[in-house]
Amino acid sequence: MLIENMKMAFSAIRANKMRSFLTMLGIIIGIGSVISIVSIGDTMRSMFEGLYREIGVTQAYLFIGYWVDDVRQSDYFTLDEMERVKEVFGDQIAYIDSNSHASADAISGRTTVKFAFNGVDYNYQEVQPVNIVYGRYLNEGDVLGRRKNVVMDTTSAMNLFGVENAVGKTFRTTIYGTTEEYTVVGIYRKKLSPFQAMMMGANTEGGEAFLPYTILTWPNDYFYALRIFARDEATMDVFYNNVKAYVAKSKGRQPEDFRLNSAKDEMGQMDSIMGGLAAAVGGIAAISLLVGGIGIMNIMLVSVTERTREIGIRKSLGARTRDIMIQFLTESAILSACGGVVGILLGGGLVMIGGALLGVQAIVKPGVVLLAVGFSAMVGIFFGIYPASKAAKKDPIEALRYE
Amino acid sequence: MGLWNRERTEDLGGSGSGERKWKPDGRPESGDKGQEESGVGTDWAERLQALWKMGLSRSRKLPEYITENVSEELIQLEDLVKVYDTGALKVLGLKRINLTIHRGEFVAIMGQSGSGKSTLMNILGCLDRPSMGHYYLDGVDVAAMNPDELSLIRNRKIGFVFQSFNLISRTSALKNVELPMTYARKGKRFREQRARTLLERVGLGKRAEHMPNELSGGQRQRVAIARALANDPPLLLADEPTGNLDTAASVEIMELFSQLHKEGTTVVVVTHEEEIAAFTERIIRFRDGEIVSDKPNVPREPEQKEAGPNEKGH
Ligand SMILES: Nc1ncnc2c1ncn2[C@@H]1O[C@H](COP(=O)(O)OP(=O)(O)OP(=O)(O)O)[C@@H](O)[C@H]1O
Ligand SMILES: [Mg+2]
Repeated sequence: MLIENMKMAFSAIRANKMRSFLTMLGIIIGIGSVISIVSIGDTMRSMFEGLYREIGVTQAYLFIGYWVDDVRQSDYFTLDEMERVKEVFGDQIAYIDSNSHASADAISGRTTVKFAFNGVDYNYQEVQPVNIVYGRYLNEGDVLGRRKNVVMDTTSAMNLFGVENAVGKTFRTTIYGTTEEYTVVGIYRKKLSPFQAMMMGANTEGGEAFLPYTILTWPNDYFYALRIFARDEATMDVFYNNVKAYVAKSKGRQPEDFRLNSAKDEMGQMDSIMGGLAAAVGGIAAISLLVGGIGIMNIMLVSVTERTREIGIRKSLGARTRDIMIQFLTESAILSACGGVVGILLGGGLVMIGGALLGVQAIVKPGVVLLAVGFSAMVGIFFGIYPASKAAKKDPIEALRYE
Repeated sequence: MGLWNRERTEDLGGSGSGERKWKPDGRPESGDKGQEESGVGTDWAERLQALWKMGLSRSRKLPEYITENVSEELIQLEDLVKVYDTGALKVLGLKRINLTIHRGEFVAIMGQSGSGKSTLMNILGCLDRPSMGHYYLDGVDVAAMNPDELSLIRNRKIGFVFQSFNLISRTSALKNVELPMTYARKGKRFREQRARTLLERVGLGKRAEHMPNELSGGQRQRVAIARALANDPPLLLADEPTGNLDTAASVEIMELFSQLHKEGTTVVVVTHEEEIAAFTERIIRFRDGEIVSDKPNVPREPEQKEAGPNEKGH
C-alpha cells in the first residue's frame, strides 16, 4: 500500500514536472543552505582541530591574571621555580619552558630579515616534531651552555641566506640590547596545508627560528609565563588545576589570581563562535524551509481541487478517509523530500567543489544528510496535512459530479 | 470460472451460517463487530491475552455484514425519499420509493431524463444518502452508517459502472482494475493475477498495460466493468453504461452483463434504450421520482453463439 502510494505520488509529480520543480525550489534552497552551512562548519571545525593538534592540544600557558592589581616581583617566574614545578609534577609534564619569544632583525652580509625567535628546550621537538632536513636540532648542551645556536626552516634560510642548506652559516642579531653572532645548526622543512598557511600567514619575507630558551631568559632569569604541555590529554584539566594551585600557593596567591590559557579552551571558543554562526544561518534556512513548506501546501491545495474527480472515483471504489489522506500526505512528503535530496546534492556539491578549489577536504556528514531528507519529508507532511484532510473529507457524490 | 462463483475466497471469512438474522438497525444480534465473546479470565495475564486477541481480531476481521451474504432480498427500499436542497427551492429527486430486488435478479431502470434514475442509483451504490426512509442492503440499513463504513460496503458489496467510465487517468488498465483490491488490502501478487484474469474475461487481456486514453470507449467501459468486479461484489450497478457507446459496443457490454447475471451476480442497469432493457428480466419505469411500472421481461437471447466476449476481437 505504501509502495503503491509512493508510485502514485511519483507519477503525479512527474505529470507536472515544471510545477513540481518550482514548488520544490523553496525546499531546495532551504535544505541546500542548511547542508552547505553545516558542512562548512564541520569542515572548518575539523581544520581548526587539525591546526590545534599541530600546535598541541595539551598545551597551556600559566601567568598572573591581568585583573590582579598589585602585581609583585614574585608573581613572575624564575628558572629555579620552573625546575621545582618539573620535580613536583614529574612525569605528568611532557614539556615545560619559559615561553620566551623575541623579535629582532637578523643580518647576514647585506641581507636583513626580521626574525621571530622562539626560545625552547632541547626536547621541544618531542611535543612539536619538526622535519629536520639538514644538520641537527638543539641539544641539551646548547640549552645548558646558552650557546648561540639556532634551528630554522627552509623558507627562513632562503630569505636570509639565499640557500636552503644554511647549516654552519652565521648571522648577527640584537637581543635585549646585546648584539651577538649566531650559528645555524639545523634546518627543517615545514609542511603546511593551504588552510594552515592561510591562517598562520604566508612567510614570504620574514623568518623564524628556535634558539635555547636560556638565552632569552638571560640575564635576569625572570619570565612572565610558563608554557607547559601535559602528558595526558584525558586528565589535563585536573593536572592544570593542580599546577595552578601549586604555583599560586608557592607565591602566596589564590589560584583565581592566575590565568591558565589552554589550547583546548581556545578551541572550544572557536567551536562556540562557529556554533553561533551556524545558528544564525540556520534561522535563515528555517525561514526558507517555512516558505518552501507553504509553497507545497499551496500546490497541494491546487492538486486536490484539480483531482476532485479522481478522489470521487477512488472513494466510489472503496477508498476510506485514511486512504485518501495517506495518498496525498505521501505525495507532499515525497515532493518535499525530492526537494531535500536536490538541495543536498546542490549544497553538498557546492561545498565539495569549494573545498577542492581551496585544497581542503570538505566534510559532508551522512548523518546530516539523512537528517535533512527526514526533515524535508517532515515539512512536506506537516504542510500536507491540511490539503490532504481537505481531500479526504470530500463527499464521494459531490466529488464525482465535479467538473 | 472459479472467479465467478459465489463462494467467498481469501480473508472474506467463512460463510457457513447463512441464516443469521439482523436487527432492523443493521447490527448483528450478538457479538460486536463479529468477534467471539472473549472469555474473561480471573487471571490478569489471561485477561490481557484476551484483550490482545480482541485487538488482533478487530484489526484483521471484517464485520459480518460485509463478509456474509445474509438476505434473499439484496435490495430493500422502504419509503425512500431524496430531496435536493438547492438553497432557493427544494427538488424532490425521489418520492417515497418502495422497491425490493432479490439476489440474482437482472433489472433495468428506465424513464425520461430527470425522472430520478441516477438519484436512485447513487443511493443504491452508497455514494449518496437518502433524505428519509430506509435502504437495506443485504439486510443492513446503510442509512445509519458513517462514511468509512460506506466505503467498506462500496468496496466489498458493490460494483459501480458509470456512463463516463470514470477510469483514473495516467493509470494503466491493470492498475485501474487493481484499485478496489488495493483498498481491500489484498496482496500485490493476488491483485495483479486477478486483474489480469478479469481483463482477459472482458476481452482486454492484451491491453492490460494501456492507459485509458489509449483505449476506445467500449474498451474503457469494459475495463470499468472488470474493475467493478474486482472484489467479486454481489451487486453490480450500472448507470447508463452504454450511453456513450455505439450499438455494437453496447450489445457487447450487455452480453457481458447477461453472462455475469447467469453466474449469479445481481445486476441493475439504467438505460434509455428499449433494446438495452430487452436484455434484462425485469423493467422498472420511473417518472418524476416515482415508480410507474415494474414488469418482468423475457430477455432477448444473445445471438445464438456460445462465444463470450473474451473470444471477440478488440
Ligand atoms: N445535485 C443535485 N442538486 C439538485 N438537484 C439535483 C441534483 N441531482 C439531481 N437533481 C435533480 O433531481 C432530479 C432527478 O435527477 P436524476 O439525475 O436522478 O435524473 P435521471 O433520471 O438520471 O436523468 P438522466 O436520464 O438525464 O440522467 C432532476 O430533477 C434533477 O434536476
Ligand atoms: Mg442520470
